[in-house]
Amino acid sequence: MAGAVPTVGSGGRVPGPPEPPYDRPPFLLDFFPLEDAGQTRLAKFFDELRLGRLTTTRCPRDATMAWPPRVVCPTCHGEEMEWIELPKRGTVYAFSAVLAGAPLGMESDVPFVVGLVDLEGVALRLFGRIVGRPWDGCEIGMSVSVEPFDVPDGRVFYRFRAQP
Amino acid sequence: MTELREVAVVGGATTKFGLRAATWPELAQEAGAQLFRAVPGLDAKDVDSLFVGAAEPERFAFQSHVAPLAAEQMGLAPRRILQRTELACASGQSAIRSAYAAIASGLSDVAVAVGVEKMNLPSMAEANTSMACVMDRPWDGAHGATAPPFFAMVAQRHMLEHGTTAEQMAAVSAKNHRFANSNPNAQFHEKVFSTEKLLRLPLVSPPLRLGDCSSMTDGAAAVVLAARELVRGYTDTPAWIRGSGQYSDFHNLANAGSLTEWTGMRKAADEAFRSAHISVGDLDMAELHDCFSISEIIEYEALGLCPPGAGGAFAADGSSDLGGKIVVNPRGGLLGCGHPLGATGIAQAVEVFDQFAHRVPAARQVPDPNWALVHNLSGSANVHSMMIYQRGG
Ligand SMILES: [Zn+2]
Repeated sequence: MAGAVPTVGSGGRVPGPPEPPYDRPPFLLDFFPLEDAGQTRLAKFFDELRLGRLTTTRCPRDATMAWPPRVVCPTCHGEEMEWIELPKRGTVYAFSAVLAGAPLGMESDVPFVVGLVDLEGVALRLFGRIVGRPWDGCEIGMSVSVEPFDVPDGRVFYRFRAQP
Repeated sequence: MTELREVAVVGGATTKFGLRAATWPELAQEAGAQLFRAVPGLDAKDVDSLFVGAAEPERFAFQSHVAPLAAEQMGLAPRRILQRTELACASGQSAIRSAYAAIASGLSDVAVAVGVEKMNLPSMAEANTSMACVMDRPWDGAHGATAPPFFAMVAQRHMLEHGTTAEQMAAVSAKNHRFANSNPNAQFHEKVFSTEKLLRLPLVSPPLRLGDCSSMTDGAAAVVLAARELVRGYTDTPAWIRGSGQYSDFHNLANAGSLTEWTGMRKAADEAFRSAHISVGDLDMAELHDCFSISEIIEYEALGLCPPGAGGAFAADGSSDLGGKIVVNPRGGLLGCGHPLGATGIAQAVEVFDQFAHRVPAARQVPDPNWALVHNLSGSANVHSMMIYQRGG
């Protein structure tokens, strides 16, 4: 997938020194969020995740907690969000597994488990990958914890790990 | 409120659905050919507007700006409204609803709604990638959320909360596949699926097996809609649009609430029945969005055809089959016909028109149907779209 990013004629950028080869998957086949502050106003989520903390935004005016994190409150449309840390433990509300038909880049993960997890002590049910147990050993109500993992290109994302 | 004009579907047709050796533009051409053949009174010059239901042509066909492309392929030159409608799995119904709104308001007199989707690509992993971006891609899709694991969780919860069984889900699929055997345009027209056979197919996302899931399908369909005073120029058996409803209140899966109680569908149904001045008991048939067998079971419940939790039994005891309380998916459903996203909602409307005109094979003809409902969900059942039709003539 290597190939130089065109600099001339794309968006009026001035030709400069050659850029390093673009070694990520083509953006339109890349699932993971854009994470750095040059691309998103939610970079703090990923900075915190890298440190092992799962966070989201809350509106200081009406206490609306949002998932995923946002830059504008959906209730009052205020733009001053505050970050809050979320619990990292939860219980499985529902789960299944992908045994066939995986998207590009996930074929080698098959079979993989996904589920909806009720986080402990907060009204939030998060969807995510569940690792650490095969699908036929999982059950509704089992305990999981949130953990960060490295996306190979230097980004970070979260998943759930089944508790022993 | 301004008085709305009455609008009817006055004819329609679908292409063969399936794994097609045909590109997106070729499917659009076929839809045009089929449409003009099915509606002999239709003159291209009379079509003032075109609405094109297409879910992901950018990804499946590497093509944007498909509304003028479709017009060119179909030999149409719209002079009033030309637009694409995108609502994932409900893109086709969205095209019909838009055409209906345009004609009802007086902005259009005769409009075509066409749906086209080309889903089978040289790389199926790439096609699956596109299906995952129907979900909230960076937050849900990135974990591997495509439709099968989501609806598998829906099925898992319904089995837990209501005792629904794999056999009841297979009964939905067996019924719809049997109807598809009398629909030559269905993807699985010549494939026989008994309940026993369905229960032996491999698991895709447990508890869902292959036969519980609709497939990746290439296909197109088109209908003509006309204002009341023009209807008789096209048909003696119009399908009048009498009501519609739609509801959506979430997108990210964290905001889905109960997986088994589709309150959004209930709200869309309330609005559809209110606007049509009928109740669920008046329906003779329904084209429900059986993207998965469990979907049809929950849709019976959300529509009020049976009490919450009783959808599995409703399927298994024949209540939704010919001779039952209502005939659901006589076309063969998404399970039997395949699910070319943008074309599905339009093919369902074609079935309603053909059923009203008694123009389908006897094995799937609903006896004397007067009222029909068409439903599409989209994404993770986070949008529900409905239309209610009454037979004219
Ligand atoms: Zn607020």
